[in-house]
Order: sequence, then C-alpha cells, then structure tokens
Amino acid sequence: MIVQQKVKETKGDRPFQNIEVWTDLVNIKDLIIAVVITVTTTLAGYFIAPDQDPAPLIFGLSGAVIGFIISSIIIKPKRRFVEADKGGEQ
Amino acid sequence: MDFVLISQMVAAAVAATLLYTLIGIAPGTDETAVLAPVTLVLVLTGLEPIVILSFFIAAIVAKKLTDSIPVAVAGIPGGVMAAPMVEHALVLKEHGRPELAIRKMVSGSVIGTMVAIPVSFLFARILAPYSEVVGSYANQLFLFGAILLALMSKQRWIALASIVPFAILIQGLRHLYWGVGIVPQGTNVFVSFFLGITIGPVVMTLFELLNGKVREKLPRYDKKLITTDRNNQYQGIPNPFKILTTQELSLSAVTSFLGSLLFFMSPVGITILLGEFVSGFVKDPVKKSSLAISSMDGLTNAAYLSGTLIPLVALGLPLSPVAIGPANALFNAPPVFTEDYNLHHILSTYEFVWATLIGAAVAILLTYFVIVKYAEQICIFVFKKVPHEAMIGLFFGLVVLLAYMDAGWINIAGVMLIALVAGFLHRLGVNYGVQFMVLYAAPYIIQLLTR
Repeated sequence: MIVQQKVKETKGDRPFQNIEVWTDLVNIKDLIIAVVITVTTTLAGYFIAPDQDPAPLIFGLSGAVIGFIISSIIIKPKRRFVEADKGGEQ
Repeated sequence: MDFVLISQMVAAAVAATLLYTLIGIAPGTDETAVLAPVTLVLVLTGLEPIVILSFFIAAIVAKKLTDSIPVAVAGIPGGVMAAPMVEHALVLKEHGRPELAIRKMVSGSVIGTMVAIPVSFLFARILAPYSEVVGSYANQLFLFGAILLALMSKQRWIALASIVPFAILIQGLRHLYWGVGIVPQGTNVFVSFFLGITIGPVVMTLFELLNGKVREKLPRYDKKLITTDRNNQYQGIPNPFKILTTQELSLSAVTSFLGSLLFFMSPVGITILLGEFVSGFVKDPVKKSSLAISSMDGLTNAAYLSGTLIPLVALGLPLSPVAIGPANALFNAPPVFTEDYNLHHILSTYEFVWATLIGAAVAILLTYFVIVKYAEQICIFVFKKVPHEAMIGLFFGLVVLLAYMDAGWINIAGVMLIALVAGFLHRLGVNYGVQFMVLYAAPYIIQLLTR
C-alpha cells in the first residue's frame, strides 16, 4: 500500500477543500460537525446517567462512541483508493 | 488461582486484544486517552484486580503491536508513541517497502515484550527494598527528567526556557481551582491536563482556523491517494526471529532492555533518543530505517510494560510517566484503589507474573500473526470506514468529558488554555516528553521557586 504525495491546489480557484490537521486530511466543515456531534453525545450521556459512580463515566464514554459512529457514517474519509497492478516486491 | 479465575483472565485479555487492535490502527489515538478511561471504568465496576491487570497488559501489548501499522502504510501515527517512527517508515515506503516496515515493527514489538517482562520483574525485585527512598525522591527525578529531555531535544534552549513558565501555568490553574473551591485543596488535577497537552497541536490549529487570513493561506489538498496492493501477503508462519536480521534482533533487545531500566523517563523521549542513536551507525537508508523502526517499536513496548510493571510491583506508587498516565487507574481509582491500597498491595508477585504472562501471550498470539498476514486488509478497512474527523471528534469528546469530571465547566476552558500553550510550545520544538515531565514536576518546581 503506497500513499502518494497529496496534490496541492493551484493558485487562483480553490478546487480542493481539505486541510492537514494532525498528520491527516480533514474538511474544515466536516471537522466542526464531528467535534460538535461527539462532544454533544458525550456530555449528553454523562448528564442523563444515574448519579452513582461509575455510571456517569460509562454513559459518557458510550456517548463518545455513539458520536464517533454517527460521525463515521455521515462523514466520508478524505482518502481515495487505487488498486495497484504490479506484483509486490518481496 | 482456580479455573474460573483463569478463564476470566483469558476472556478479559481476549476482549482487550480485540478492542485495542482496532483502536491501535485508528490514526491519532493517544495511549492515555484510550487506555486510562476504559481501565478506570473496569476498576470502578469492581472486577477482580488480577483480571483487570490481564486486561491492561493485553491492551498495551495489542495497542503497541498495532499502532505502528498506520505509520507504515500511510505515514500516520496510530498513537503518540508511534510518532517517532514516521520518518523512518516513510523512507521504507519511498523505497516501495511498506510491508517490510510493518513486519519489522511488529516483530520488534514482540521482542520488546519478551525482553521487558522478565527484566521488569527482575528490576522490580532489586528495586523493592529501596521503594521508600526512591519514593521520597520522585519529585527530583521528574524535574531531572524534564531537564535531561530538554537538553537532549533539538530545540534545547527553547525547551529548557519553557520548563518554569509551563509549570507556573499548570500550578496556577490548580491553585485557581482550589481558590474557587471547585477542587479540594491539595488534589492535583491531572488527567485532563495530560490530555490537554496531548491535544495541544490540534487545538492550536483549530484556533488558527478562526483567523480568516490564516485560513486563506493554509495549503489545501485533494483527497489522499492510497495505492493498495494485495500481492504482498506474507507467506508461511510469521516468526519474529526470522523476520528480523541478527543485528535488528540484538539491537531491539538491547534498546528494549535499556528502555525497561529507564522506566521512569518519558517513553517517547527515550524512544527518539535510543532509536536514533542505534540507527546512527548504519548508512544504507533501507537498513538504517529497518533497524530504527524495529528497535524503536521494541523499545516503546518495553518502556510501556516496564513503566507499568516496575512501579506497580516494586513501589505501589505511580512513579513513571506510563504509571501516572495510561496505567494510573491501577494505582489510584478511589474508592476502589488508593495509593495505600492498590494492585501492589493486593496481588502477590506470583499473581502479577501470571496476569502479565496471560495478557501478553493472548495479545501476541491473536494480534501478531493476524497483522503480519493481513495488515494491508485491516488497514484498508479502517481507512475506508473511519474518517479522520471522527477520530479528532472522539478525542475532543473524551477531553471535554474528563475535563468536566476533573473540575467542572471552568476546567474545559482551563484545558483549552493548557492545550493552546502546549500546542504553541510544540510548534516551537518542545516535544511531548519535556511537557509531560513538567506536568509531573510542576508542584515541586513551584515549591523550589517559592522557598
């Protein structure tokens, strides 16, 4: 599996929307959506939990996982796959 | 130990292995963020202590085995600890050998585990009589570690100059929380500050995005193009002793051994230091990088295991960055564990050895073979299904949750402040190792300055 050099924009018009955050590409709008969704579901989980340790923590973590799953479904990864034809070198 | 208990330990180890194999591959997952909360929850639910230890050991071994995979296939670190390996993995990828990188890394990882477990127990035995003396010098050790790591980093003067101001920021916030009464006097907010430092570079970038001019100037990219090649599958039964050359084997073992002895230092710092040092003697780029990543991966694994096991078995005090970070719940998770009553006091050495062996063996048996054989397929699955935005979102969710749990709403802003400063320092060249050490040494630094 080989990752090619990311293609940078040409000056003038801006056909590409992705920026690099923490060594991978994201779309600014998608990133904001994912952060808002996950923070909301996490805190919602925490606050609806019964007030008895460790329930709030477990509910909060479950909320985080739910937010993660929702974000993964509605946001597409900024990666494109190409199948290589040549055999591998060993 | 009866059969029921052993089967519980195996079941916990299997669960941890499956969970952390996937988490390890997902890019950008910080060890503390993914290990600490889950372990804490398990401790608080009242599981048998020995079962929790098996779970934790399997989790770190599996996580350390897999977090190097995205480095090799995409140059994306699967965790903070994998970051030092990116440069060398990219060299191998440029030479068309990403599969080689994966095999070398996970094999180094296995060597690291095999070296670290006996060394940790041996060293713990030697250290145990001195536990009180070492315990009384913990502060000095952390400060010494911060200065040492600063001097050894590339931007040594900036790193050195940042130690005291950063300590003041951390202690300043803690004193504010005590002052307004949101945290009881003397309780140090720790976990959320730790996560704040970890997420610093991302928070810095996000704040910059609010500035229109900066946003305009940021380079924009098309989608990342990933060329997959299914013909590179490993033939035969994977064996780390065959995959690694004699030189790689011996140096991985040596760095793992040293990494175990330096358990009280920041694992990332030690990894960069020793990994670059041993590979510095080799000229050929492919050989140099193979050597660097196999020894680094062995070392990170060893540093994690010894950083957990040595303080736990010998001292019962979280006296290493790993023990204070990801493994913290094994030492201190009130009301179940406290500093006077935790795994150290509950388990015998015999039980420690069994829990560790079961955890490590299950993780290696399940993960090593699968990865050497199917690394490519697993990576494609994760890369196709998991957007980077969701990973960052998940991490933000955890940071906000733990920040709130540590000290209420005010601490969410407090953690953002720490993240901004940490991210800025990071950009100036002050690495995580120095910042984490300062976090541990901060109370002592302030005490020294105001004496």
